[in-house]
Amino acid sequence: MDQKNRKRARTLTRLLAPEEYRRFQEIKINDLGFGYDPFGLEMESAMAAFALAKQVYKYWFRVESFGVEHVPQDGPVMITPNHSGAIPIDAVMLGVDLAIKMQKPRLMRAVVDNFAGFLPFINTFFYRCGQIIGARRNFEELLKQGEMVVVFPEGDKGTGKPYKDRYKPIPFNVGFMELSLLHRTPVVPAAVIGAEEQYPLMFNMKPLAKLLNFPYFPVTPLVLLFGPLGALPLPTKYSIYYGEALHFYRDYPPETVNAPEIIKKLVRTVQDRVEDLIARGLKNRKGVFGFSGFPFKGLRGQPEKKDLPRHERKQLQSQAGSGSAAD
Amino acid sequence: MVRKKASKPSVSRKKADRGTGGRKKNVLITGVTGTLGSRLAEALYYDKNIGIVFGAALGSKPYYFNQFDTKRFVYKNLNILRSRDLTNLFLSSDFKEANVDTVVHLAFFNRVSRGKGKDSHDLNVAGTLNLLDKCIESGTVKKFIFKSSDVVYKIRPHNPIYLDENADLNFDPKVDPWIKDRVDSDMICQSKMDARGVNIVILRFSNIIGRMVSSQLNAYFDSPLVFRAMGFNPLINLIHMEDVVASIQAAIHKNVKGIFNIAGADTAPISTFAEINRSRMHSLPTPLLGPVNTVMRTLGLTKYYYSVDADRLRYSVLLDTRKAEKLLGFKPRSHVYFEGGGSA
Repeated sequence: MDQKNRKRARTLTRLLAPEEYRRFQEIKINDLGFGYDPFGLEMESAMAAFALAKQVYKYWFRVESFGVEHVPQDGPVMITPNHSGAIPIDAVMLGVDLAIKMQKPRLMRAVVDNFAGFLPFINTFFYRCGQIIGARRNFEELLKQGEMVVVFPEGDKGTGKPYKDRYKPIPFNVGFMELSLLHRTPVVPAAVIGAEEQYPLMFNMKPLAKLLNFPYFPVTPLVLLFGPLGALPLPTKYSIYYGEALHFYRDYPPETVNAPEIIKKLVRTVQDRVEDLIARGLKNRKGVFGFSGFPFKGLRGQPEKKDLPRHERKQLQSQAGSGSAAD
Repeated sequence: MVRKKASKPSVSRKKADRGTGGRKKNVLITGVTGTLGSRLAEALYYDKNIGIVFGAALGSKPYYFNQFDTKRFVYKNLNILRSRDLTNLFLSSDFKEANVDTVVHLAFFNRVSRGKGKDSHDLNVAGTLNLLDKCIESGTVKKFIFKSSDVVYKIRPHNPIYLDENADLNFDPKVDPWIKDRVDSDMICQSKMDARGVNIVILRFSNIIGRMVSSQLNAYFDSPLVFRAMGFNPLINLIHMEDVVASIQAAIHKNVKGIFNIAGADTAPISTFAEINRSRMHSLPTPLLGPVNTVMRTLGLTKYYYSVDADRLRYSVLLDTRKAEKLLGFKPRSHVYFEGGGSA
């Protein structure tokens, strides 16, 4: 970053409260000598991005979170939330939440899909804010450095889900579990509620996605109705739930990576925890926008029961039977 | 423009002594009249664990070697493209008497020069092959050290942040001949890695920076006006000439073979180095970089060739040097010093 941009970044950090600024300054990076870590993270850029994202976190999405105490304060850790919302704003909100709420501030390092590396500006922005392009060795390097890594086991398919499939996580990829066992890293399941409705995705414009080298090109009704203005995400209310850390490595040695069936079973356990947290979040929320009584069907707080996976439908039915059904 | 900053050799004498087996090494350096060659010759001349230094290059002996004692430094006029010249050298009495056991191959056409494509290909590829074959045949040469570079690696945005020695090489058929020659010579050395009696060491350096050094980035930073790809600001690593010499010395002394990545002490985005160098840097959309570079070259404003390794202005290339650290005991110590600005 040159002097001119550095000044701009410092101006942006004035948006932060002094306490937040001080907390952010406590975060240490693996500085190679010029203020950058090997992945291109630079604290001034990260702080400027954080200052901006904090406003969105506070005023646009009005994020609330639960269970952040389950995230370990030190050492390597993997956070595995559901992924949704056409544009990965859920990752940004998660990063801000962790930076604000954790007792000891930690910087979230998210694993970004390969296609982001080709995109001008976006590529540099991601690197400077501490995000990494998804090469497995990069992931391993971060775990070795004891970083807190957020990995979306649904991959980019998660963000490209159509609206009708909201809150139905697609089967998780298994790579994160292998690395968790190899590097003795706890896994914290998490659920982000609210992101699924920020861009109600109608369909994926595949030819355009292919042309632009994107994994998908989302088309939402808002873009069709309002043009560029419709590209703004809806101000849904976000809630983030963190589950208890899962220490699979205590029971399964690194050699387990050679047993794909066991790995799949462990991944399924994580996915079940994430789905439980989603169900809990949906049950607790008042509505998509944070208040009940929203008139439009389908944009209410919870997806229709017929859209939910079978085990969730059963759960809801049993809850209804015991007189505690949501909404 | 860059020049060296005073620095200590990065491999301590004690460390260097380990693995020498107590016997002094006698070294042949090809391309000794080049900037790196002459610096290496000087370092080896003052190295107590080196016996005789044979310097070979095309042309007569340059004046700056006259300061050396001819008992310890022997200069040979050698064209490595001519098999007869090589045979004569290996059969010559002083070469035999000196018992040369290590060859450092630096004779390489480093400057990007479009008009001399065939010449540079011959020297870089055929020359390397000739010399290596001759070393294997000789039976006396025990180690062959080849100076390669990180341009041989395939540059992609989703590469691991640190490229290790097993990373993919750039076998793209459309790649510039300048890079292709480097990949070919590297591969020639790799293909002979299992040759009996000779330990082949390939040192892949990051961007070498120094006065009078022919390297792409040196040419880039020598320009008064530099351009980078809009929306990209990759991390680059610069290695000082002192560290290059020190790593070759370590490779001579240590009982090793194989490929080693060697990087310098300075890593930062390209714009940071431009700022330190006080270069006027501007961003341009990627499709414009090539034409603008051509105009600048035509006007004599730069010697940098954008088209040769265009991806380098967009994607980071950092080397994983853990192997060199562990087996060669090499750690970079010297920082690059920019004449236009300050120390990196």
